[in-house]
Amino acid sequence: MDKKITHKEPVNVLVVGVGGQGVIMVSKVLATICQEHGYQVKQSEVHGMAKRGGGVFSHVRFGEQVYSPTIPKGSVDVLLALEWAEALRWVNHIRPGEGTFISDTQHIVPPFACRNRKRGAEAGYARETSDQIISRVNKGFALDATTMARELGNERAANTVLLGLLSTTLEFSEDVWCDAISRFVPPKTVDVNLQAFEQGRAWAAMDHGTPEPVVHNDGPTPVVVGREEHEMSDFVQLDINPAWCKSCDICVKMCPERCLKLDDQLKAVLTDPDRCTGCRICEWLCPDLAITVHRTPEAARAAAQG
Amino acid sequence: MAKKKQSAETSGPKEFDVMSYLRRDLFPHFLCPGCGHGIALRALMWAAHELGLDKDKIAIVSGIGCSGRLGAYVDANTFHTTHGRPLAYATGLKLARPDLHVIVITGDGDCLAIGGNHLIHACRRNLDITCMMLNNEVYGMTGGQVSPTTSQDRYTTTTPTGNTEATFDSCKLAEAAGASFVGREVTVQTPTLKNLLKDAIDHKGFSFVEVISDCTEIYGRKNDLGNSPEMILSQKSQMRPDSYGGVIVDEPFRPNALPTGVLTRSDRAEYGETYRSTMASSKKGA
Amino acid sequence: MAKASTKTNAQNLQGNNACALAAVAAGCRFYAGYPITPSSEVAERMSLELPKVDGTFIQMEDEIASMGAILGASMGGVKSMTATSGPGFSLKQENLGYGVIAEVPCVIINVMRGGPSTGMPTRPAQGDVMQARWGTHGDHQIIVISPASVSEVYEQTVRAFNLAEQFRTPVVLLIDEVIGHLVETVHVPDPASLDVVDRKWADVAADKYRPYEAGKDMVPAMARPGDGYRVHTTGLTHDESGFPTQDPETVDRVSKRLLNKFDPHRKVIDHFEELNVKDAEVLIVSYGISARAARGAVKQARDAGIKAGLFRPVTIWPFPEKALVKAAKKAKRILVAEMNAGQLSLEVERVLGRDRVSGVNRIDGEAISPADIIDAIGKGA
Repeated sequence: MDKKITHKEPVNVLVVGVGGQGVIMVSKVLATICQEHGYQVKQSEVHGMAKRGGGVFSHVRFGEQVYSPTIPKGSVDVLLALEWAEALRWVNHIRPGEGTFISDTQHIVPPFACRNRKRGAEAGYARETSDQIISRVNKGFALDATTMARELGNERAANTVLLGLLSTTLEFSEDVWCDAISRFVPPKTVDVNLQAFEQGRAWAAMDHGTPEPVVHNDGPTPVVVGREEHEMSDFVQLDINPAWCKSCDICVKMCPERCLKLDDQLKAVLTDPDRCTGCRICEWLCPDLAITVHRTPEAARAAAQG
Repeated sequence: MAKKKQSAETSGPKEFDVMSYLRRDLFPHFLCPGCGHGIALRALMWAAHELGLDKDKIAIVSGIGCSGRLGAYVDANTFHTTHGRPLAYATGLKLARPDLHVIVITGDGDCLAIGGNHLIHACRRNLDITCMMLNNEVYGMTGGQVSPTTSQDRYTTTTPTGNTEATFDSCKLAEAAGASFVGREVTVQTPTLKNLLKDAIDHKGFSFVEVISDCTEIYGRKNDLGNSPEMILSQKSQMRPDSYGGVIVDEPFRPNALPTGVLTRSDRAEYGETYRSTMASSKKGA
Repeated sequence: MAKASTKTNAQNLQGNNACALAAVAAGCRFYAGYPITPSSEVAERMSLELPKVDGTFIQMEDEIASMGAILGASMGGVKSMTATSGPGFSLKQENLGYGVIAEVPCVIINVMRGGPSTGMPTRPAQGDVMQARWGTHGDHQIIVISPASVSEVYEQTVRAFNLAEQFRTPVVLLIDEVIGHLVETVHVPDPASLDVVDRKWADVAADKYRPYEAGKDMVPAMARPGDGYRVHTTGLTHDESGFPTQDPETVDRVSKRLLNKFDPHRKVIDHFEELNVKDAEVLIVSYGISARAARGAVKQARDAGIKAGLFRPVTIWPFPEKALVKAAKKAKRILVAEMNAGQLSLEVERVLGRDRVSGVNRIDGEAISPADIIDAIGKGA
């Protein structure tokens, strides 16, 4: 078992991620446990404007006496990141030589990382690998918690996997954690969350040797749908800008020909160009303005010939 | 009707490409996945395109909230003003610059709650402004609080036991206040929405268009309304589209259905012109 | 009448009417307002004057809308103004802040009355000095002018427009009920003889234009809708491109430019009157209607052998601190005479220290009289 962090001075846990991942839930669980143990706790967070996909962070500080609600730079004892780029954004806040780094390796490319207007342009995303980062911190865990949770049946429990890891760095007993998690997750998901928590603890106990390279570190694969990649129908050309697509599924569900799908990056792609009639429904209904249907000159000629 | 048509006839209608109306370097936009506001934005640009409006002469005035941010994505003169006040700014702008096509993009909270007074007086005054109100029944930007159009019994972060307040029918409100053009459409009927917006922009006088939009991520999730495709489809089923341009008839099978299409259209005198002509004649008389 | 030249036209004018005439002379072509005592005459006169010059007058549905409308008109490229009093001024504050951050020139007339709240609508006061300075939220700079006579209302209204245009900022004119309703003979200058400043318009190629990029003068050129620039204007903190930013370094840079915008121009902005300050041992600091009593008090005190002087800031914000320090060099006592419980005196204390400064205040709806000031001079002696 790992050494417990001393609690005389305030213990600083920084939980970061993007909107919708459960940063606030994680910090609430932690803050509640601390508070129920008689510690003074301060939890201060930035959210609200941080809609789905925007950066969210939450400072949790506990100790006998805590004054400042926020953690000074360089004083983070545990950085718990639910998303890789957010982890990197905050890694410099970890207490040099002492702090612990825990991060999911999953990538959620934020909208502002896609500034290049060129179709199919690669999104700007952190290139650092997990071993590069872990070599910079005292103790680091980088794991694919999202896949672990997905295999358990609920991807959204990734945050609880990470809580499992966090629990091994703090003094509170396993029962206390399980009890708090059961209270804060939706009732239907208690079981899967408790399993996820156990997996996180088990992962921490395993000897990982040198950290594994990050599985998903290729950045989003540009998905260009056009004449180059696909044999398109002579009549229409469908351009889908993956950097703008937010995976809402509208085009997939509304396409009368059922020739669109979300790929493994959850970006819309054309599966069967021959079936696409160029009806434009996907274009009209794309809330992200990511789909453009080009009716080619051939189409115009065909229409003129009747 | 040809009041604002400029280049459409001369250059021939080009195929609409929304990209030419966008500030593309700001994309992807900040809206949540599945947010209907993006669809409405496309419909608005499409309408402007078909009317052949000159981008230099389009002024988009918006307020605060998710709807308020839309203007920034349009390659036009865009004004992101204060909460609830876009109609007040637009009134000043239109009176000072009658040559501009002033289009207000606002939301249900922006337009009906904090800005309700400006809406009714803008309707009454009948200045040539188009007001597109995106109704997603919730304050999305602040995290999902109840709004004046939240349906009864729906859950929001400030109605933890379901909304107990009554709901505004914004089109009836606009009509009663004297708007000379009132319409409503859902986002999923994009071409129809485009036509409605086209009519609204082309209308001389104050035009009010309520766009039924969806907030999937916050409101939809909280009320189990399904994901985006389901939400926009169910909105369509809650509407009564037979009223477009025609007489609204009660449909006993869907008593709560809201009518869509053009709900009011009259040729009441436009305020700016009335003011200017009255002042010009008083000057001559003096 | 001695000074009246062929270029002026002597008229008996009420303060509020003088304000309206001056606005039109300064190029104001849009007025939006809401009726409120004691400022309504400004609106009434504007509704008569603006149509004569093809301008537009509109009475809006409320105070907030009036402020929004003048900002909208000004963003459309037309000089605009509104007039109000304390309660209405409070309602305008959020949009006033928009004018500050989006750098929209406009003029707000506040004919001050007793407060807080409805207070005394028909009684004078000078209680909005701090509201004018700090009414809108957040750190900001603003220009506030307080005239002391009807002639000065005319001059300073023209100047308010010029400053608003030159520095792309809202300018507040703090008149009080007495001056607003006072009728005096004003030598109305020939509009053609007036120095009228227009804002700097963008004249670079549209792809080179950055809406909030300023040169040495720290004031960016403005784009007129329809001229092909198609810019974005927002009340969010924005960078030079006009689009919102939260990058700390950028925010710091753009906020500081906004906060320091007036610094290189203080010679133009600062405006004050000095009376017998050189050897003054008792220096009265006063502005607006109270300064007129102070002038009388200085004279009476001098007649009685007391070395009294008057320092009257006309531009009260930004506060002319350098000039005050100079004027107060010999002064053993500083008396700040104002019709509030002590607002500008806080600023005087900040500049000169608290030891020498005391206030002559009235908050009973009655103007300060020379006798009040003489009493105060006597008490300290």
